[in-house]
Amino acid sequence: MALNLVHRHVLDDHISGFETGKNPNHLSVARRPVIFSVLALQGRDGDVGAALSSVAGFSVRCSGPGEWLIVSDTIGPEAAAGALAAIDGATFADQSDGKVLMALYGPSARKILAKCVAVDLHRDVFAKGYSASMLCCQVASNVMRTMDDQFEIILPRSYAGFVFETMMEMGREYALTAGFASP
Amino acid sequence: MSSFRLDAGGLVNRSDALSFSFDGKSFTGFSGDTLASALLANDQMLVGRSFKYHRPRGVVTAGSAEPNALVTVGAGARAEPNARATMVELHSGLSAVSQNRFPSLKHDFGAVNGLLSPFLGAGFYYKTFMWPKPFWEKVYEPLIRRAAGLGKVTLAADPDRYEKSWAHCDLLVVGGGPAGLMAALAAARAGARVILADEGFRFGGSMLSETVTIGGLPAQDFVRQTIEELATLANVTLMPRTTVFGWYDDMVFGAVERVQKHVSQPSADLPMERLWRIVARRAILSSGAEERPLVFGGNDRPGVMTANAARTYLNRYGVAVGSRVAVFTNGGSGYRTASDLVARGIEVTAIVDARQTAQDTVPDGVRVIRNGSIISTKGRHRLSGIITARSGFEEVISCDALAMSGGWSPIVHLMCQRGAKPVWSDEAQGFMAPDVGAGFVAAGSAAGVERLSDCLRDGAAKGAASAAALGFAPYDVNTPDVEGEYDPSFAPLWYVPGARDKAFVDFQNDVAVSDLGLSQREGFSHIEHTKRYTTAGMATDQGKLGNVATIGIVAGMRGVSPAEIGTTTFRPFYTPVSFGALAGAERAEHLRPVRTSPLHGWAKKNGASFVESGLWYRSAWFVRAGETGWRESVDREVRAVREAVGICDVSTLGKIEIFGSGAAEFLNRIYSNSFLKLPVGKARYGLMLREDGMVSDDGTTSRLSDSHYVMTTTTAYAGEVLAHMEFAAQTFWPDLDVRFVSTSDQWAQMSIAGPKARVVLSRIVEDDISAQALPLLGARTVTLKGGLQARLFRISFSGELAFELAVPAGYGESVADALMDAGRDAGITAYGVEALNVLRIEKGFVTHSELDGRTTADDVGLGRMMAMQKPDFIGKRLSTRFGLTAADRLQLVGLKPVEIDKEFKAGAHLLKENATPSMANDQGFVSSVCHSPTLGHCIGLAMLKSGRERLGERIHVWDGLRGTDVVAEVCSPVFVDPDATRLHL
Amino acid sequence: MASLITCPHCGVRPKEEFSIRGAAGPVRPSPSARQEVWHAYAYVRDNPKGRYQEYWHHAGGCRRWLVVDRDNVTHAVFAVIDATEWHKTAGSRI
Repeated sequence: MALNLVHRHVLDDHISGFETGKNPNHLSVARRPVIFSVLALQGRDGDVGAALSSVAGFSVRCSGPGEWLIVSDTIGPEAAAGALAAIDGATFADQSDGKVLMALYGPSARKILAKCVAVDLHRDVFAKGYSASMLCCQVASNVMRTMDDQFEIILPRSYAGFVFETMMEMGREYALTAGFASP
Repeated sequence: MSSFRLDAGGLVNRSDALSFSFDGKSFTGFSGDTLASALLANDQMLVGRSFKYHRPRGVVTAGSAEPNALVTVGAGARAEPNARATMVELHSGLSAVSQNRFPSLKHDFGAVNGLLSPFLGAGFYYKTFMWPKPFWEKVYEPLIRRAAGLGKVTLAADPDRYEKSWAHCDLLVVGGGPAGLMAALAAARAGARVILADEGFRFGGSMLSETVTIGGLPAQDFVRQTIEELATLANVTLMPRTTVFGWYDDMVFGAVERVQKHVSQPSADLPMERLWRIVARRAILSSGAEERPLVFGGNDRPGVMTANAARTYLNRYGVAVGSRVAVFTNGGSGYRTASDLVARGIEVTAIVDARQTAQDTVPDGVRVIRNGSIISTKGRHRLSGIITARSGFEEVISCDALAMSGGWSPIVHLMCQRGAKPVWSDEAQGFMAPDVGAGFVAAGSAAGVERLSDCLRDGAAKGAASAAALGFAPYDVNTPDVEGEYDPSFAPLWYVPGARDKAFVDFQNDVAVSDLGLSQREGFSHIEHTKRYTTAGMATDQGKLGNVATIGIVAGMRGVSPAEIGTTTFRPFYTPVSFGALAGAERAEHLRPVRTSPLHGWAKKNGASFVESGLWYRSAWFVRAGETGWRESVDREVRAVREAVGICDVSTLGKIEIFGSGAAEFLNRIYSNSFLKLPVGKARYGLMLREDGMVSDDGTTSRLSDSHYVMTTTTAYAGEVLAHMEFAAQTFWPDLDVRFVSTSDQWAQMSIAGPKARVVLSRIVEDDISAQALPLLGARTVTLKGGLQARLFRISFSGELAFELAVPAGYGESVADALMDAGRDAGITAYGVEALNVLRIEKGFVTHSELDGRTTADDVGLGRMMAMQKPDFIGKRLSTRFGLTAADRLQLVGLKPVEIDKEFKAGAHLLKENATPSMANDQGFVSSVCHSPTLGHCIGLAMLKSGRERLGERIHVWDGLRGTDVVAEVCSPVFVDPDATRLHL
Repeated sequence: MASLITCPHCGVRPKEEFSIRGAAGPVRPSPSARQEVWHAYAYVRDNPKGRYQEYWHHAGGCRRWLVVDRDNVTHAVFAVIDATEWHKTAGSRI
């Protein structure tokens, strides 16, 4: 008996269908991003950090000293694992199912996110490409500014429903819509 | 009813009439009005009854310090009590009702208290209602509470939304008056990120009430122009309707924004209020100054108000506060008010000046009574006259309003909230802002600056200096010239002697000068005692108007300087903040995060009842058709596991991936048992201790490769275990090559337990999972049919043949469905944490009910897990100390009732036969209890003194809380399958 | 309402991101140290008023253990150091 397994996104209960009629302020949920935790072994922080940034197709997020999240929407999980295994001094764990990735974008993205996180989101302080771990809607998350008016939030799966609902609530003022990102 | 609205002037829009109601009566105001200005325009001077004596009260101020004009705004669930009419922005359809009166504002039965007032002085309640003691709670307090008080809180759920947000800036300017506007402008032009917050709905502060010209423009136009410029600057955030209520550590300011308190139809998409936490590198307090009322007999008569209020209603709102206005003053403010009134054609019947001489300009034709005083006032619901006294001669002067000015007090509240006390200035005759460092300074009249032109200059200079200190290029701000300003200086006058009626210092709490005297005579002379004894300054206005007079009068009574009396303690909040705003979105089910398992959907469709476990929602049991109670479901689930196969969601267990060449050594030090020689492909049960030798948590750790382990923790301690490991790795042994990361959310994990577990599981797993291929405590990666990679562990928490299968979370529900299909003929049964608990109690397995922080490994029968031959592990050294090895320690045992149908509960205590319940006779307690469907009766686990030596003994299970006493037999904690044969199937 | 800690790795963060474990002064004794030394380590703590060093875990951020050197009366923070660094550099002991 070959199993016909269905992959469910934790926000399937919260979002129906793909993005139709999205507003300027929008929360776009990636359906199946590839996400890995990467940890540098003793004394290898610098090497691993440099090696990660040179892998094409990896978007690297800083989680803490010697610790990163890498995200890819172009490389599959096996290939990503292979690329990580090739980095000397790095260890890693697949978190693709353990994390939820949401992109919040639009002219009011910063104002909406300011209701969710305590850090200063001004572009001079939290510049494009900057990422860090922080509490977002009370939940330990990773936030990156990917564009001037776009932020990506990576958070643990089990909290995703709560954070999603809270963020949508905070976005009501700005007519925030949500949907899964088009594949 | 006559109208007091002037034909022209002010910042109200006469073409935008708004209808509103007060005590059910309809009125009309204009946009730009406050409720207070609109009421005054409609000759509604009487707005409330006082707290204790039920005296008629009218509007005293035009701002946030208002003590009297407290009304309930809105109706039903939106009713807001104690709203200050002076701060309520008028909108169409607004409904307000007065408070603390019955049956109506004009005819209030409670006013009889006023006749009794000679007896109702400070401390009256405490002295009178002392006896008999139980009467206080049952009789006196409810009665007093009904008679005295303010608005009533609605008990209906708040229908509105609230939010919180963070903001960050280089410079926060608190207050948008002359100094604040200039400070914001100066810093913003220099390039600093500026937030300008003002509690009012219109920026400009005192300039909105001024008749001067600034920079050649009427003051109100100057304000508009300045705001327009600020609004164009990208680095400026203007926050009107925002009260900065608190100054906290590390330059964090709390503020509340009234987002749509002022609209007729609130939008469902906007919050009603928004709480701001503003992180500022620097801040300027430009909150202005408060005009002091004068303390004279009958000073609470409706129609008596501060001169500044009268002037504000006149110039800002186009409302005359009376048709014949008298003035009582000790400084320039009274004269300027008289001039402005005369200029608008309003009769000023007299200026009573407490001073002998004055240089202030007297408007033409107005009589000035120098060295005069007011000793009483006349009128019932509105002032009709004042009785003045000069050199022993009394005179009644008719008037319908009195503008009083007792000088000015800088508003320094915010700067005093973190411990610094205001500083008395003899020169300014007031309390000045303390020096709290360069990060937070006062500017303008908040800093004691008097004249408008000086306030503008001071604000600009301090704004520029703040920006420069933060490294912004200096920007020269030209301060505009002011034409027509007056000198607001004054001579101190704390108390007007000769009062014929009560002279109030605190209007809201009905505290009169006589009460202050009483408190001094009765020994409550320290200002903090005076405050509490008389309640001066303890009302919702926190003594904004009256505290300075209280201090001045007490100083006078004691013959010392106010500096010696000092102030009471300042604390947040500056003005009341709603609970809704403080809670924000964090209320009801959004109070704290909710965690759901990847198998939540599967559990739901299988009939799960959920239980909150920490932040998690876990399936407690699964109801089937026809079952009438939870016990029935749980019993069925337990029997299914013992007889066939069950499936349980264990995804909530903590999972930590551990990497590195030092991982084995690290685990060996973290756990009390040995981990160095754990082979790849094997799991081991591990025990963690605290450094004091007590057990902290247990779980299994599996070795997946040479330098890769995965640890499971209990659900409850997942976060703590990870933090503990991080602490050990980062502070004890930073040189060990070990790293870890939580993967708790990556895996959906299910326990498949029961004699038929392998048969069912093998139908969906590609690999060989026979007892030879996957022996007890085997741990390996397997492939599910169809290709999905999974982790399979042969571990059991039920005593049955059991596996834990972990699959990527997104597939969890689908895999669980597949297992249900595969096991249908075998009778596969979903079971929840209740059945899980029964199964483990039947086996004598411990959880945090037993591992409660007071038990050692040996206490719970796990002494063999103390690998004392290891050189070190956390908890090793102190585990051997005397006391932790004593013979009479509580040890884990089983309990079963002697009469088999009897039951007991967890928490009951154990007593020997005939022993009276006492601490001395206590033999231990019951930690876990369940009904065992396998045995057919109640069983329990207990911690009993020297328990393991006492098997077979009869003991009393005494439950004082529930009033039961059951005789039980002490037995082995392993009730089912003591030889563990089922585990090895 | 709020107070802020400047994490050496993450920058300025609200206190809600941290959990506090207590005094950073006591050093874990060697396994062979006398029982009295272990007793003092496990149980005996000063309760100073004023300047004080304690462990703060940046649980909501980088998950590093930090040593926050602050005045527990005024909450003036003098330094925030990664705990590993703090233990390595004896000179930073106050």
